Amino acid sequence: MNTNTDLVIDAHDVHHTYRQDGTDSPVLHGVDLTIRRGEFVLLMGPSGCGKTTLLHILGMMMRPTSGSVRVEGVDVGSMSEAERTRFRRERVGFVFQRFNLLPILTARGNVELPLRLRGDTMDGQAARVLRQIGLLEKADKKPRSLSIGEQQRIALARAVVTEPHLLLADEPTGNLDSATAGAVLDLLANLHQSCGLTTLMITHNEHIATRADRVLTMRDGRIEL
Amino acid sequence: MPSLAVANLMHRKLRSGLSIMAVSIGVAMLIVMLGLSHGTLDEVADRMQSVDAEIVVLPQHENVIFTGGAAFSGEFRPLIERTEMDHKPIVKSVIPVLFDTIRLGGQQQRLFAIDAKDMPAFLGGRKMESGRMFDEADRLAKLLDSQRNAKGYYDPAKIDDADVNRACELVIDSRLAAVGKYQLGHEETILGRKFKIVGIVESGVAGRVFCPIQVLQHIKNAGMPWASMFFVQLLKPPAGQEKDWAERCAVVLAERTKARVEPKSAYGNLLAESFSQIYMFMTIASTISMVVCFLFILLTVYMNVLERTREFGILRSLGATGGYLIREIVSESLILCLSGAAGGIALAFLAKILIEKFRPLLTVKFAPEYLLLGVAIAAVGGIISAVYPGWRATRFDPVVALSFE
Repeated sequence: MNTNTDLVIDAHDVHHTYRQDGTDSPVLHGVDLTIRRGEFVLLMGPSGCGKTTLLHILGMMMRPTSGSVRVEGVDVGSMSEAERTRFRRERVGFVFQRFNLLPILTARGNVELPLRLRGDTMDGQAARVLRQIGLLEKADKKPRSLSIGEQQRIALARAVVTEPHLLLADEPTGNLDSATAGAVLDLLANLHQSCGLTTLMITHNEHIATRADRVLTMRDGRIEL
Repeated sequence: MPSLAVANLMHRKLRSGLSIMAVSIGVAMLIVMLGLSHGTLDEVADRMQSVDAEIVVLPQHENVIFTGGAAFSGEFRPLIERTEMDHKPIVKSVIPVLFDTIRLGGQQQRLFAIDAKDMPAFLGGRKMESGRMFDEADRLAKLLDSQRNAKGYYDPAKIDDADVNRACELVIDSRLAAVGKYQLGHEETILGRKFKIVGIVESGVAGRVFCPIQVLQHIKNAGMPWASMFFVQLLKPPAGQEKDWAERCAVVLAERTKARVEPKSAYGNLLAESFSQIYMFMTIASTISMVVCFLFILLTVYMNVLERTREFGILRSLGATGGYLIREIVSESLILCLSGAAGGIALAFLAKILIEKFRPLLTVKFAPEYLLLGVAIAAVGGIISAVYPGWRATRFDPVVALSFE
């Protein structure tokens, strides 16, 4: 498994069609995409153009109907489901628009979860990341007692606690007011700058474009050149 | 951070509590049924072992528990007494017992009608706590014997009721006396006649209630010298033949009498064998109750899984494997079931206390293996109950699960 490459994402001619009740709904029509290590890439485009589908394919949450996807040089399409799950756990962090925190766990519990899934010992990474995002004092609170901005920061902390090679963020500020969204984006940008974290973020927020290395626009299942 | 399984169960306290309670009741029912049946049978078997005899002669093909009535006619006793092995007598004495069922101490009791002179064999070293043995029985026996013909029968109409009534005496054991608050001199109407309690013996003797056999034979069998069973005291074995003496004598006696003859030591097994149908019923009842409990657990875990579809999507997105999800779900189920088992054991001990308080004549004995069985069944049931929900959880498409509302 060769991972010694500068390309974190190398997707070529990716097609995807949803099939439901005998009806085919093509979503991606031959997407080509490369992202270099350390890049902060924004993916923009109208709703329904296939951004989230592409993100899920790049994050190994689903398989494309056709095309090849390499993550850090590894052809993830040839992997078994279990191998993809392990690969995702080791190298990819996800941030969702709806935060997707587990309500039964505290903020600390949510942040520790990826470490627990990897079988890592809890030697303070969670506390370190919680301090970094300024929420260490709320570590023992359940998500429902946190503001939505705080919840998204916890979700971000959970995504980066394992120091992934790739961060995939699906409209992380979509549910936030502009002030809170700004704070979360600042945090994302800081994380990118301080850690060199390769980031692909879906957003509708054009104001953030200035902070990104590249802005890609997607329309009708293709990335516009 | 508590495990995800514990956190989830704590998050749904009412549902988890009800599930634990369901398992507790099932496990408690299982343990109490086992403890009650085996405890009572063991206690009866132990009491029978206290009789100073080596062999029991029972009606062929009859259930030991329900042995009653006059199964053996007057010819059997001399037949047993004259049994020989290698042309040598083997029987020292024969102790006939006639059973009947009466109500005393708030529940049914087996009435042991015995000859007064055989009482020492039944005491088996235990002492008379208060009162005396039957006084009038001997006089009645002599009176009846004087009336018997060559076959041992007499005409009951010629016997004065007053003579019989004077011999209507009971000896009871101290446990029954305590439960019924019976004291010496207390009179109880049994079989249409007034019986007076004249003696209280230390508990642990074969029967809880004894009366003179002549009285019961007169009332029930028109005086015919019939018996329900016999205890047989054997003569000492000839030198060098001590090994399996009782077993070998039992074989010879069985051939001669065509009855069921067993060493007294086998009485416990006979009881258990006779109880097999009831055991089967209890096993079925316990199994059904446990199955219902585990269906409840399955339903609870399955509901949890369905409700947490989104959570499983999140876990999958974070890199949780199917094995991890199954482990979490099995852990939840095991926590519910093992907590239920612990609660069941506690409930069973509470039930034991209550049974001993309100039904003191019943014996509940919890052997460690019953408790282990309860825990083992709960553990196995917990794992089985989690298999299907666990499998379902691994089948969720993570992307679809993430969009689950």
